[in-house]
Amino acid sequence: MINADPRKEAIDMSLYGPNATPSQAKYGLPQHVQFCRKCVISNQRPNSAVEYKHTAQSKKTVIAFDEEGVCDACRNAERKQASIDWDRRRAELVALCDKYRSRNGSYDCLVPGSGGKDSFYQAWVLKYEFGMNPLTCTWAPHIYTDWGWRNFNRWIHAGFDNYLLTPNGRIKRLMTRLAVENLFHPFQPFIIGQKGFAPAFAAKMGIPLIFYGENEAEYGNPIADNQSARRDFEYFSMASDEETYLGGVSVADLQSRYGVRKADLSAYMPSDPRLLEEKGIEVHYLGYYLKWHPQAAYYFAVENGGFEASPERTPGTYSKYNSIDDRIDDLHYYTTYVKFGIGRASYDAAQEIRSGDIERDEGVALVKRYDGEFPERFAEELLEYLSLPSEIFPEASAQFEDPIMDRDYFDALANRFRSPHLWSYDNGEWRLRRTVFQEN
Amino acid sequence: MNRRLIARLDVKMEHLIKGIHLEGWRKVGDPKGRAKLYYEQGADELLYMDVVASLYGRNNLSGIVREVASEVFIPITVGGGIRSLEAVREMLSAGADKVAINTAATQDPDILRAISDTYGSQATVLSIEAKKLAAGGWEAMTDNGRNHSGRNAIEWAAEGQRLGAGELLVTSIDQDGTGRGMDVALISAVAREVDIPVIASGGVGSTRHVVDVLKNPDVSAIAIARDLHLDKYTLADFRTACHDAGIMTRRVKGEQGA
Repeated sequence: MINADPRKEAIDMSLYGPNATPSQAKYGLPQHVQFCRKCVISNQRPNSAVEYKHTAQSKKTVIAFDEEGVCDACRNAERKQASIDWDRRRAELVALCDKYRSRNGSYDCLVPGSGGKDSFYQAWVLKYEFGMNPLTCTWAPHIYTDWGWRNFNRWIHAGFDNYLLTPNGRIKRLMTRLAVENLFHPFQPFIIGQKGFAPAFAAKMGIPLIFYGENEAEYGNPIADNQSARRDFEYFSMASDEETYLGGVSVADLQSRYGVRKADLSAYMPSDPRLLEEKGIEVHYLGYYLKWHPQAAYYFAVENGGFEASPERTPGTYSKYNSIDDRIDDLHYYTTYVKFGIGRASYDAAQEIRSGDIERDEGVALVKRYDGEFPERFAEELLEYLSLPSEIFPEASAQFEDPIMDRDYFDALANRFRSPHLWSYDNGEWRLRRTVFQEN
Repeated sequence: MNRRLIARLDVKMEHLIKGIHLEGWRKVGDPKGRAKLYYEQGADELLYMDVVASLYGRNNLSGIVREVASEVFIPITVGGGIRSLEAVREMLSAGADKVAINTAATQDPDILRAISDTYGSQATVLSIEAKKLAAGGWEAMTDNGRNHSGRNAIEWAAEGQRLGAGELLVTSIDQDGTGRGMDVALISAVAREVDIPVIASGGVGSTRHVVDVLKNPDVSAIAIARDLHLDKYTLADFRTACHDAGIMTRRVKGEQGA
C-alpha cells in the first residue's frame, strides 16, 4: 500500500495560524503574494509544465511581473493590441498554408480541439477562409457535459471530419485518481492527451502541419514563448519511456504496482522526438497569426455553428461560454484555488480584463464573489469517478488505504496541498492570507 | 389595442452592450444617444437593464435615466439590481415610470408585493429570464441568466401576477442575441397563464420574428435590442411589418398607415 488516507494524517496546524510567520512556500512558489496591477492574476500562477516530468516534488516556475507590478500576460495583451503587425502575421499564415496546401484532395493540416468556441473558430477559418483541408481530432474530455457534447457535434457538422479518441475509461479514472492523489491535478490526464495525441496522430496520418489555438503565453507563460508560432516539442515528446511520469507515477511503477498493461498506456505516452523530426511535424499556434479574442470566438461559433453557452455559470466563476465541455473542469479550478490561491473566476476575469471586456474593479468583485466556490454541481459524479472500487481495480485499489473518494477524503486531501504561505486556519475555516479584494 | 414596440437597452456602466444567451457582452454604443434615436424613431417605450447590477450588487442606472428622462417623453422601465423599496424610489424619482425586478423577487417574493402596494402595480414589472429545460418547460433563472431559481417560469409568472406585478417581461435566454427568432411557445405559454400585459424579449433577427410573436393577441409588447443597436432595422421597419400583417401599433406621422 502506497497511498495513505489523508484523513489519518496529522497536519502541523501551527504553520497555518492566522499570525504564524509562514515558513515555507510549497511547489517553489514565491513567498510574497502579489497581484497584477492591471488584471487580477497573482504571481503564484504557474507556467505550463511538462506533464510527463510532473511529480509531487516538482517545482513550479511562475508568471513574471515587471517592475511596475504588471504581469507578462497583460504586457503580452498590450503588444497584441499595439505593436504586432497583424497584416504581416496574416501573410505569414497564408505563406505557411500555401506551403502545405493539398493539391490532391488529401487532408493538409490537423486541428486538434474539443468543439468549444475556439476550436470551432480555428477549424472554420482554416477551411473556409484560408482554403485548407483540415482534419480535426479530439482527445475526449473525462466526462462530457450535455452541452459540450452537443457543441462538439455542431462543430463536426459544420463541415469537418473528426477522429475522436476516447481513452480507456478505467485507465483514465486511475490516472485521474493518481493525478489528484499525488499532484492534486484532476485535469492532468486531459492535458497530456490534449497536447500529446495530435502530434502522434499527425505522424501516423502523414499530416505534418498541426494548428492549435492560443499560445499559453496569452495567459502567462514567458512572453518570449509568444515570439514564435511553434510549440516546443518538449510538451509532447520524450526520448525515453523510463523518464516518463503519468499522474506523478513512473511508467514502470504503473505497470508493476497498479496493474496497468503497457498497451493501456500507449495513448498517454509521449511521441519519440526522432519520429516527429523524421515526419517533419510542425505544431503551430493559430493565435500567433491571427488576433485572438475568446469572446469573439464565442460570437463566431454561435453565429456560424449554433454553439450554445452552458445553461448556468460554471461553479467558481461567472462565465457561461468558456471551457464548458468537461465536467471535471469544475474540480480542476477548485484545485488550483487550493494549491495556488487562484480560482476559476481569477483566470476568467484576468483574461477578460486583458481583452478589454471587463474592467479591473469588476474583475476584483467577481473574484471576491465566486473564486474558490466548491463545485457542488457534479460533485457526486466526480467523486465516484475518482474512486477505485476493488472489483473494478483489483490491483490499483490495493495501493490505497481507502480507494473510495468521498467529500471527506477529498477535503482532507486538499489540506495536504495547502501551502502555509497562502492559507490560514482560523475558527474552523480556511482563509487565503492575501486576496486581490483585500488588497484594494 | 395597439401593441407596443419597446427598445431594450442593456447597460454595463456607461456602455450600451449586447450579449448572446445573456453572456459575452459586447460594447455596442452609447445608451443615452441611442435612447434619443429610438425615441425619435417612434419607440413606444424604453427598457433599460443594468445587466451586471446583480452580479456586482449595485445599480448604476439612475444617472443615465435622469438625463434621458428629461429629453425622452415615453415610458421608461428600469431593471437590474432592484432589491429594495429604496432602490425603486430612486429609479422612479430619476424619471423611470416602472421598475423591472427579477433576482430579488425570486429570493423574496414579498418585495414584489411591497413595490406594488407602495408604487402601484402599473410601476411593477416582473422580469423573467427563462431557460428551456431538456425535460420540457422553462426555468426562471436569476443574476442575468447565471443562476438557477428552481422556479418553473410559467408558474412563477402566475405567482408574480398574484403578488401584484402589473406587467411581465419574458426573456428567452436560449434565443437572446442569436437573431434566430423568439421562443414563441414560451411567450404564448406565459400569456395564456396571466391576464396582465406580457412583453416578449429575446431573439428578434428580422421583422418576421416580431410578427410571429405578436400574431398572438395576448402578447402586448415586444422588446427589441440587437437589430436596433446594429442598425439592421429601424422601429419604422417593424411597424410596417406589423401593419402589413394586420397587427395594430401606434401610428407615427409620415409612416405608412398613419
